Amino acid sequence: MNFLKLDPLMVKRLQRFRRIKRGYYSFLILVILFVISLFSEFIANDRALIVNYEGKLYFPTFKFYPMAEFGQMDEYGFDDVEADYHGLKTEIATLKAEFKDRMETWDGSAAELLESEPRFQRKDNWVLMPMIPFDPYEPDFSYDEPPPNAPDGRHWLGTDGQGRDVLARLLYGFRISMTFALALVVISQTFGTIIGSFQGYAGGWFDLYSQRFIEIWGTLPFLYVVIILTNFFTPSAKMLLIVFALFNWLGITYYMRTEMYREKTKEYCLAARSYGASSMRVMFKHLLPNCLTPLVTFTPFLIVGAIFSLTALDYLGYGLPPPTPSWGELIDQGLQSDNRDKIWLSMSPFAAISFTLILVTFVGESVREAFDPKQYARYK
Amino acid sequence: MLKKLLMAGLVVALAPAVTATMAGAVDVSSIEWETNMDDPMIGNPDAKQGGTWKTYMLSYPLTFRLQGPDSNDSFAGWNRAFTMDFTLVALHPVTDNFIPRLATHWKVMDDNRTIYYKLDPDARWSDGEKITADDFAFCYEMMRSEYIVDPFYNTYFEEYYESVEAVEEYVVKIVGTKESWRPLYDYNLWPMPEHVLAGGLNETWVQDHNLKFQVGAGPYTVSKTENGQRVVFERQRPWWGDDKQYFKGLYNVDEVDIKVILDADRAFDHFKKGELSYQRITTAKTWAQDMEFDSIKKGWVHKKRVFIDYPQGMYGFAMNLQDPLFSNKDFRKAVQYSFDFDELNKNLMFGAYFRGVSAFEGTAYENPNLKPYGFDPKKAREHLAAAGFTKRGKDGIFVREDGTRASFTLTYGSPGLTRHMTVAKQKFERLGIEMELLLLEAATAFQRGLEREYQMTIMSRTTNLYPAPHQYFSTEFLDTTNNNNIWAFGNQHVDGLIDIFRFDMDEQKRVSAMHEIDAIIQDEAFYVPFWQAPFVRMVYWDHVEWPKGFLPRRFEQITDWQVMSIDVEKEQALKAAMKAGKAYTRDEVVDVDGWGVKAKMMQAKGEASN
Repeated sequence: MNFLKLDPLMVKRLQRFRRIKRGYYSFLILVILFVISLFSEFIANDRALIVNYEGKLYFPTFKFYPMAEFGQMDEYGFDDVEADYHGLKTEIATLKAEFKDRMETWDGSAAELLESEPRFQRKDNWVLMPMIPFDPYEPDFSYDEPPPNAPDGRHWLGTDGQGRDVLARLLYGFRISMTFALALVVISQTFGTIIGSFQGYAGGWFDLYSQRFIEIWGTLPFLYVVIILTNFFTPSAKMLLIVFALFNWLGITYYMRTEMYREKTKEYCLAARSYGASSMRVMFKHLLPNCLTPLVTFTPFLIVGAIFSLTALDYLGYGLPPPTPSWGELIDQGLQSDNRDKIWLSMSPFAAISFTLILVTFVGESVREAFDPKQYARYK
Repeated sequence: MLKKLLMAGLVVALAPAVTATMAGAVDVSSIEWETNMDDPMIGNPDAKQGGTWKTYMLSYPLTFRLQGPDSNDSFAGWNRAFTMDFTLVALHPVTDNFIPRLATHWKVMDDNRTIYYKLDPDARWSDGEKITADDFAFCYEMMRSEYIVDPFYNTYFEEYYESVEAVEEYVVKIVGTKESWRPLYDYNLWPMPEHVLAGGLNETWVQDHNLKFQVGAGPYTVSKTENGQRVVFERQRPWWGDDKQYFKGLYNVDEVDIKVILDADRAFDHFKKGELSYQRITTAKTWAQDMEFDSIKKGWVHKKRVFIDYPQGMYGFAMNLQDPLFSNKDFRKAVQYSFDFDELNKNLMFGAYFRGVSAFEGTAYENPNLKPYGFDPKKAREHLAAAGFTKRGKDGIFVREDGTRASFTLTYGSPGLTRHMTVAKQKFERLGIEMELLLLEAATAFQRGLEREYQMTIMSRTTNLYPAPHQYFSTEFLDTTNNNNIWAFGNQHVDGLIDIFRFDMDEQKRVSAMHEIDAIIQDEAFYVPFWQAPFVRMVYWDHVEWPKGFLPRRFEQITDWQVMSIDVEKEQALKAAMKAGKAYTRDEVVDVDGWGVKAKMMQAKGEASN
């Protein structure tokens, strides 16, 4: 992977990018948020982070523990359904409080009280819940009013139409949007770069025909194709990614093609060829590193586009299959006539999208500025 | 016999022009006519007359025609109510018997597809002309004409009617294409005014009649229009039907004033301002949360939930019996017991709906003794164990010894149901059953159902008064797909019962056969009924009055049976009271259960919880 080795010009550009504060900090914030969101299961989950029960430590985040494990039983008398960590926490807290009450009127020592009423021994267990103790799927119907419920201390951003925590869904939705956008950008940029490079470098009939194909392909209406494809394939994140990629690789080919056309006429290219370097080697080792500017500058805007289209598709109901947490689906809920007075449903995803897109746009603008060759332009 | 044939041949030879009417014809004077004047009146004969019924439509009609392009919009309901709805006979909305409308008498011949109708000689068009048999023959001719540019009527009349003839001035003979067990229902017809339309039925008919008001048999005619804004119908007084038994107490208001309001939410605001007489409330949320406005508190507006008994159609989960998982009856029952309707109803639907039970809900054939399965994790667990699911896997989902998981995919096509299904999914998961959701485009989901390319899907079908068990449960459709037997159900016994329902002339036998089918379907557990709304929720101003029971039992639209009336004096008083800010005593009774529907629902619910 030699071409990743940074040439001095690239290093200079990156330094310049760092100096553009707005873009640089936006980039840092985005990276931090994304890394955090990769650990969403530890932030928003209705399974506890750690349970200390009868002297044993449990880490239920990714594991199913039945109620029996923690001496619980549900209202129908089953102990093999999933443990209720909220309930366990409340139970321990109540026991603690009760124990304290009893101690005030108790003559002997705490140990004696424990001995006489063994149920108090459970009070020494503890449950550590995540910061947001709700997962993005489980409905919370504990309110008197049917959902959506307004924000309060329990649900910081309220609940959605099915009683699910909006904040948890935003968080998981962010992870899905970002992962999706990044994967899409990697796939479509890689593919588009390869095709565009070949077009530019090879030229001739390959360029002629592939360019016509790209023009025709580019006129296909994306949304209709998605709708038609959902009739044949089970909609899933993977399928959406493929469909998006099918339409997203086109843009970059135009730029890579012209870059290649330009670079291949330069002397260093000729030199490399006269040394007997293969076409592949010339293209990807010698020419490509000099053609990276459009690739780098367009990428952030592609991310913006990808997040935006995914949200739009989800909003229209052709996106990720339910019950996947998604921003578009939240906006859809917020705009339904029944929910127009439930302002948190539309405002929170709207704020989240605006915030993310603004950050990415800032990054994009700064990258473009940093890579702008005009700074070195000399006009004679 | 031979002589008779020869005679017939002779007649044919001698008078070829009249063969159509005469050959094999019945002498009209010898017909033993039937009628039905024994059913109760539909409206209140003492209802106050006069006043203006203020209502709305979603857009101004593009045309006043009822056939051809653009003729089916939100105005068409009212337009049809005073024209095409005046058919020969009608189904009584309470007793389900046929009653006279434009025909006073009828006679169904032995072939069950030939019917003679005797017209009411009093009937008049709104322009004063007599309504005669020729108008029905003309309707038949017109509906088959390419000049009306209406493929629906063209094919419908090709498929259903063989001929419509004016036998005498007041006798119509209709022959259907095939034998029917409900010929009066299948071979009914409305008249079209021949004297008005006959001359103009040509290439330009569609354009010529865009803005011409209909000449109809009904009591109202268009009296005023404001382009893009409103259409006003005015009552003809006297009207030929005023004293007819089944029209008494209907059509009580002097004017029907329909104005354009672009959406239903906005219409509700217009209602609150007093610009509409009545508003039907269609969402549970509005009913539960937006009903405490000023005029209701002051008693000027009343809110009622009127229970009606309209066939509901099948609506619920359908399981594919050809799927390895769902071919197991115990697994099907486990799913039945895991479906928590009450949780959905309480938390997502404001407790507004009732659980469906029968496959023939709301028809005369539903089995009244069936109780819904109800949510019961214990029983669900028993049936899961019986189906071989005894151990929970690592993710909490049950697995069999051979490794099959209790996991299936729900294929459905209605995005509006996603919220209910995600909640149901979480519930199933807790009980150890995994339900993946696969939301498809509506037509695709429907098609996958018909092709049986699903494990579980959501079935939603409408029905009329007569259920169609044959298409849904007959073995005839087991080996083929693309039919309504989407679950692939059927056995010899049920086939026999279906045949009784289809062909037996003894209504009692048919009903008990259907009850048995209903019970078998419930026991086989491949259909999980969802919820139903056997009521009309409405608000109306104090001066609007209704007969006892408010709406007829088989109520669909306010335009169908116009039983409402307006008390003009009360309207004046209300105006004064509103001006003075004087509150009335609030009417606290919300539920109206004139037909015992709610009582039946509550009973089914109460006994199910035991």
